[in-house]
Amino acid sequence: MRFFILNFKFLLAWVFFVTALEVLADEPNEVSFSLDVRPILSNYCVHCHGPDEEHRKADLQLHTQDGLLSGDIASRIVVPGKPEESLLFQRITTHDKDELMPPPESKKEMSQEEIALIKRWISQGAKWEDHWAFVTPKTPQLPEVRRSDWPKNSIDIFTLAKMEQQGLEPSREADRRTLIRRVCFDLTGLPPSPREVERFVNDSEPNAYEKLIDSLLASERYGERMTLAWMDAARYGDSSVFHDDGVRFMWPWRDWTIKSYNDNKRFDKFTIEQLAGDQIENASIEQKVASGFNRNHGTTDEGGAIDEEYRVEYNVDRVKTTSNVWLGLTMECAQCHDHKYDPISQKEYYQFYAYFNKNSDKGMQTRNGNSAPLIKVPNMMQSKELQNLRNNVKRLKLEKSKKQPSLKEMDEWIADNRASELPEPPELGGWYFLGSFTAKDSNEAFKKDYGPEKVVDLDKEYAGKKWESRKYEDGKVHTIELPEKSASYFYRTLNSPSNQKVNASFGSDDAIKVFLNNKQSLANNVSRAPAADQEKGVLNLVKGENHLLIKIINNGGQGGFYFKLGGSSLPELVINNLRQDILKADHVTKLQEYYKKSVWPLGKELDAKIKVAEKSAGDFDKSIVSVMTMGDLAKPRKTYVLNRGHYASPNKDEEIFPNVPAALPGLPKEAPKKRLSLAKWIMDDDHPLTSRVTVNRYWANLFGSGLVSTVADFGTRGALPSHPRLLDYLSRDFADSGWNVKRILKQILMSATYRQTSASKLDKIEKDPENIYLSRAPRFRLQGEFIRDNALSVSGILNNKLGGPSVKPYQPPRIWNEVALNGGLFYKRDEGQKLYRRSMYTYWKRSAPMPSMVAFDAPTREKCVIQRPRTNTPMQALVTMNDVQFVEAARVFAQRILNQGGEDFDSQIDYAFLLATSRPADDLRKRTFRNLYDSQLKEFRGDKKRAEDLLKFGEVKRDMSVDLAKHAAWTTVASAILNLDEVLTKE
Amino acid sequence: MIPLLNSDHLLDRRKFLNIGARGMGALGLASLTQPEMLNAASRGSLTETHFKPKAKRVIYLFFSGGPSHIDMYDYKPAMKKIHGIELPDSIRNGQRITGMTSGQKSFPCVAPMFEFKQHGQSGGYYSEILPNIASIADEMTLIRSVNTEAINHDPAITYINTGTQQLGHPSMGAWLNYGLGSPSDNLPGYIVMISKGRGGSQALYSRLWGSGFLPSKHQGVKFRSSGEPVLYLNNPPGINRDSRRAILDSINTINLDKFKQTQDSEIQTRIAQYEMAFRMQASVPDLTDLKSEPDHVFDLYGKESKTPGKFAYNCVLARRMLESGVPFVQLFHRGWDQHGNCPRDIRRQCEDVDQPVAALVRDLKQRGMLDDTIVICGGEFGRTIYSQGKLTKDNHGRDHHGRCFTMWMAGGGIRKGHVHGETDDFSYNIVRDPVHINDLNATVLQCLGIDHERFTYRYQGLDQRLTGVQGANVVNQILA
Repeated sequence: MRFFILNFKFLLAWVFFVTALEVLADEPNEVSFSLDVRPILSNYCVHCHGPDEEHRKADLQLHTQDGLLSGDIASRIVVPGKPEESLLFQRITTHDKDELMPPPESKKEMSQEEIALIKRWISQGAKWEDHWAFVTPKTPQLPEVRRSDWPKNSIDIFTLAKMEQQGLEPSREADRRTLIRRVCFDLTGLPPSPREVERFVNDSEPNAYEKLIDSLLASERYGERMTLAWMDAARYGDSSVFHDDGVRFMWPWRDWTIKSYNDNKRFDKFTIEQLAGDQIENASIEQKVASGFNRNHGTTDEGGAIDEEYRVEYNVDRVKTTSNVWLGLTMECAQCHDHKYDPISQKEYYQFYAYFNKNSDKGMQTRNGNSAPLIKVPNMMQSKELQNLRNNVKRLKLEKSKKQPSLKEMDEWIADNRASELPEPPELGGWYFLGSFTAKDSNEAFKKDYGPEKVVDLDKEYAGKKWESRKYEDGKVHTIELPEKSASYFYRTLNSPSNQKVNASFGSDDAIKVFLNNKQSLANNVSRAPAADQEKGVLNLVKGENHLLIKIINNGGQGGFYFKLGGSSLPELVINNLRQDILKADHVTKLQEYYKKSVWPLGKELDAKIKVAEKSAGDFDKSIVSVMTMGDLAKPRKTYVLNRGHYASPNKDEEIFPNVPAALPGLPKEAPKKRLSLAKWIMDDDHPLTSRVTVNRYWANLFGSGLVSTVADFGTRGALPSHPRLLDYLSRDFADSGWNVKRILKQILMSATYRQTSASKLDKIEKDPENIYLSRAPRFRLQGEFIRDNALSVSGILNNKLGGPSVKPYQPPRIWNEVALNGGLFYKRDEGQKLYRRSMYTYWKRSAPMPSMVAFDAPTREKCVIQRPRTNTPMQALVTMNDVQFVEAARVFAQRILNQGGEDFDSQIDYAFLLATSRPADDLRKRTFRNLYDSQLKEFRGDKKRAEDLLKFGEVKRDMSVDLAKHAAWTTVASAILNLDEVLTKE
Repeated sequence: MIPLLNSDHLLDRRKFLNIGARGMGALGLASLTQPEMLNAASRGSLTETHFKPKAKRVIYLFFSGGPSHIDMYDYKPAMKKIHGIELPDSIRNGQRITGMTSGQKSFPCVAPMFEFKQHGQSGGYYSEILPNIASIADEMTLIRSVNTEAINHDPAITYINTGTQQLGHPSMGAWLNYGLGSPSDNLPGYIVMISKGRGGSQALYSRLWGSGFLPSKHQGVKFRSSGEPVLYLNNPPGINRDSRRAILDSINTINLDKFKQTQDSEIQTRIAQYEMAFRMQASVPDLTDLKSEPDHVFDLYGKESKTPGKFAYNCVLARRMLESGVPFVQLFHRGWDQHGNCPRDIRRQCEDVDQPVAALVRDLKQRGMLDDTIVICGGEFGRTIYSQGKLTKDNHGRDHHGRCFTMWMAGGGIRKGHVHGETDDFSYNIVRDPVHINDLNATVLQCLGIDHERFTYRYQGLDQRLTGVQGANVVNQILA
C-alpha cells in the first residue's frame, strides 16, 4: 500500500511537471519562448523592464527580441546556449541581495521550476518567438492519435491527442436524456419538454442528434440565449448608471441583437454594424440601431459633473469594451501610461481612442430617457399604426376639401352680421391708475375693495394713494411692475351715443375683476402671464358716460393687463368689410372666405376632427421608442494624449490621429480614419486575435471555461491556451467559413468531446481536477437567468414572447428607493403575463439590479463582463426556496403534476422529474419524495389555513378543483425538486 | 506570496482532494452537513495574514453626501477673521470646483456658525453639535488631511469604497471577505445597513458594497429595517421550520446520491450552503431581535435606538453583529449633502449620529472588543469654506470639497487621542501629512495584518489591489 501511494505521488508530480513544461510545446522537451518563458518574464520582469517607457529601469527591454538577444557579448542579456554567461540567468540566481532579480522589495520571487525553465530555454539556443496570440493562426495539421474509433470530428482528434499525452481516456457518451437537456440549455437557455425528450430518446435514425441540434439552432430561443451572453459583454442596462441612474431605452438594440443571432448574421457583419453601423453608406435604421453597442455604457446627470471629464470617461469605456470583447486585449491599462506588459504604448492607446473621440454625445446626459445622437425605431406594428394615423389625417383633410358651405348660409351670415356689427363706437376716455395696495396674500387682494369698486372718484385719496393719468394703447399687452401680492386699479370712461352692447376682451397678470358702472361684470382669480383675449365679455353700455374699472391682482413677479373693445368676435378686416355701406363683389368674396375658414359649422367640426387625428398621430410618434446610436461630429474633435489619463491634461504638443497598435497587423493604406475602418480591421479574416477570442468565448459558454481561461485577456499576462492547435483550428475555420456562428457552434456540439458524460470517477478527477484536458464533460450550475426560466418553464407559466421592452417581475420591496436619489424612486411591479417573461427581459437598473439574479452572479453590467464568476452560496438557496417567483412556480408546477401527471404518486413523480430533469424518477427519488409528500400532506390536512396561505403566494390563481392539502403537499415536493442540484446544474 | 488565481475553485478542489484521500464514499450525510467539515463560507484566500493582525473586525460608519469637516472638526480660530471675505486666488490656486458653484460670481468664506472647543489630550477641535463624539476624543485618531481627487458624489463615493473611480472593482468589505473569510458559520461575513438622514439624500449604489470582479459571494449582504431582515430569508407563508427541515432533508438525500454518481465536489458545497441558509433563517432573526438588550444599552445609544431603520438602531445591531463574529459591518447614513441651509441641516444630521456613534465606541470598549475592532467614521469628501449661494447672517450652503476633509478611526491598532494632518486657515489645502483615501485603506488593511501591496487578485492581466495601481502608503503615525 505504501508503495502504491509513493508511486501515485510520483505519478502526480510527473503529471504536473509535464504540464508546466509542455502545455503547448510541440516537442515535450523543447522549451518554447512564447509559451513557457515569456509568461515568466511578464510576471516578474517586464513591469520594470518592458514596454512602459516612462518607468523603464536600466533601459532594459525584456519584451523585445532586441532587448533580450542583441548587444555586445559583455552586455548581452541572453547568450544562446550559455545560461551561465547570460546576465538574465545570473541575476535571477545570484545570492547577492543587491543584485538579485526580481528585487526582494518587489515582493515577488521566482520559483525553482521557473528558473529551471529559463535555464533550459537558454541552453536549447534561446529561440525567440512572437507572442502566440499576435501571430495569425494557421490551420494546423491534425495530430496522430492512437484511438481512432472515438473521434467524431477534427475537434476530437485535437482533444484526444492531449488526453493521450496525459494518460487520460475519454469518457463515454452521455445518455440521451442528459444530452438533450445539456444541449437545450446550451443553445436556448431552456429545458426540453418531455415530448421533445421522448422524441429524441426514441429516434433511432443515425442523425437523431444532428437533427436535434439543427432544430435548436433554428429556434428563436437560440437568439435569446446568445444575446444574453452578449448583454454582459455589451454592458446592457435599462438605466444610466451614474448619479441618479435614471431610465433609458436601449431594448430595440437588444431586439436587433436577438434577430441577428437568429438570422445567423455573419459575425463580421454583426461586428461592423455593432461598432460602426452608423457609418455604413446609406445605413439603414437597423444598422444605426446596432451601433448602440457603444452607447450602452453608463452616463451621468450629476449637477456638479464636469462635462469633459465624463465625455472622456465614455470613450475610455468604449476603448476598454471594444478591446476586451473583440481583441481580448486589456487596452485600458495604457490610458495613464504605457502598458506594463503588452506592447501598447500610451500614444497607441489614444490612437485607438481617437476613433471614438469624434462621437457627438456630450458628457452631461439625462436621467430621463435617451441622449443624442439617437434614432427613432418604430417596429413593424408601430410603423403600420403610425401610417394609419397619418392616413386618417390625410383622409379628413381630403374630406373637408370636398365640402363647401352653401351660398345661402353665407348670405344669411353676412346679413346678420351687417346688422349686429354696425354699432356706433363709443368714445374712449384716457386711462387712470390707482395703486398698488399690498395684501397678506393674493386672495385677500382679490377679495378686498380698496375703495373704488363701489364708486370711482378721481379726486379722492385711497389710503394715501391717488389716481394717476396713464397712457395704455388698446389692443396691446402691457407688462407693468406691480408689487407682489397687491391689487391695482385701471379706470376709464366710455361715452356711448346709444344704449348698446359691445364686445370687449381682457387679459391680466394675474387675477382680474371688471366693473362697469360700479357693478362687477367679470371676475377670475387666476395666476398667469398677460396675453390678449384671455377673457371675453359683453359690455352693456348706456347712452352717455359709462365707467369702466379693471382690477388687477399681482401674485408675484411682474403684473400686466390687456384691453380691447369689440376685440373678440370678428377681426378688424372682416368688420371693415361688414361696415361697407355697399357690399361690392370683393367684399363679399372676402367675407365668404372668412366664413368658410372660421365660422362654417361643418368646417369647424371637420377641423376639430383633423386636430384630434393630428394629435393622436403626433402622440403616437412621440411614443415610438428611440435608441441611442453612435454618430460623429460634423467637425471632428482633436485628440491628444492625456497625461496620466486625466481629462484636463491633454498634451497639445502633438495631435493624435486614429490608428491601431503597431504590434498588430496594420490598416489598409487607403483606410479612412474612422470607426468603420477600425471595425473592418478587427474583422479581417487574418486578424490574429478576433477569431481566436470569439471562438474561445463560445467555447467558454459551452464548457464553462475557455481553451484560454482568461477569456478577456489574450495578452502576455493572459493564460496560455490549453489546446493551442485546437484553438487555431477553430478560429481558422470560423473566419474561413464566412464567420458563420451557427456552423462553429454546431461543430463543437457535434464533437465526441462535447457529448461525453460529466459523471466521473475519483481517479480521473484527481489526475485533472480542472478538467483542462477535457476527458469528461463539465458539470456546472446554470446561470441565474436559466435557473429562473427553468422554474417558469417546468411549471408551465413561462411567457415565451420574443423581444420588446424590459419588464418588472417580482422584486422585494424598497430595493430601489432605499438607495435612490432622495429616496423617491419606487419599483412598480408589472402585472399578469409580464411577471413570467424570460429573465433576460427583466428591467436592469444598474445601481440596484434584481437581487435574485445578482445572488447568482449576474453582473451589475456597469462595465463589460465577458465571463461571470460562478459561486455557490446560502443566498442562492434562500432565493430558490423562498422567492415568491420560485414558490409560485412550485405551486403551479404542483398543480400541473396533479392535473397532468397521472393518477398515482409514482406516475406523478415520474412526470415531475421528466419535466425538471428530463428523466423519470428512480426508486430513491420516489421513496424520498413519497416520504416528504406523506408527511406534508398530513400537516396540511391538519392545518387548512397554512395550505391556503401557501397556495395564495404569487399572482396566479390556483385551480380550485385541485384538492387543497394535496396541492400544498405537492408544492413542497415541487419546490424541493426545483432546488435539487441536478435541476440547478447542467450535467 | 503569489496570489491565487481563481482561488475559490482551487480551494474547493483542494478540499475535495483532502476528503477524497480519506475515502469520500464512506462519508455520511451527517458529516457533510457539519459546519466544521465543510463550511464553505468561512475561508479566505489568505491562508495566513502577512503580519500579526491588531484587529479582526471593522465597523465602518459611512456618512454619505460629504459631511462638512469645517462645521464638525477642522476648525481654527483664524476662521473668524476670514468670515465674509472672498476666497483668495492664492488659496483656490486654480483648482477645479464643481459645476454647481463654478458659475458663482462671489466666493465668500464662511466660518462655522457653531461654537468649537478643544477636547482630549490631543487638543483637537470638536463642534458643539458633536458633544458625544467630542467626549471620546481620547479613543481616536482624528485625521484632518484625508483627500480625494473626486469632486462629485458618484465618483467620490465609488472611489473611497472601492479604491478607484472606475466601476467594476470590489468594495473594501468584499476584498476583506475574499482575503480573510469569516469565522461565523451562520451569518454573512460582510453586512451593510442603510439609514436615512433628515433631508434629501444622494443616491447609493450596490457597487459600494459589491464584489466587482471578485466572486459575488464576497459582496455585502444588506440587512433591512423592515420586512425580512435579509432578502428572501423568510419561508413562504404556510411553510414552517419543520416543513423547511423536511424539504431540506429530502433535497440533501438526493444531492448526496448525485454526488456519489458524479463525484462533483460542488454538490458537497451546495449541501453545506443549503444548511447555512437554514441556520441563517434562525440566527438572523435572533440577531436582529433587540428584546434581549437591557434598557441601559438603549439609554447609551439614545432614544432612536429602539426605532428600526434609524442610525442609532443600526448601531446597536452592528455591535451585536460584531459580537456574533461578523468581521465587517458597514453602516451608511444618508443626507450629508449641505449645499444650502448648512447650519440647520448639519446640526440635524449630527443629532442623528452623535450619541449612537460615541455609544458604539464606548460599548465596544466596555465589552473588551474595541482593542481588536477598527471603527472608521467619515464620508466621501468634505465641503468648501466658501458659501454656495448667498451668505446671510445665519444661513449659507457649502459645495463639495475633496482636497481635504476629516475622518477618524478608533480601536484595533489605531493610536489613541491623536490628531493627524493639518490644513490651511481656509481648511482648503493640506499643509502637513496628507492622507489619500487609498492611504487610509492601506492603513486599515495593515491593522488587519494585510500588506496591501501583496493582497492582490489577478484580473484582466493586472494584479489588482484595493489600494489601486498608483501606489499607496500606510500611515504609520496613526498606528498605536
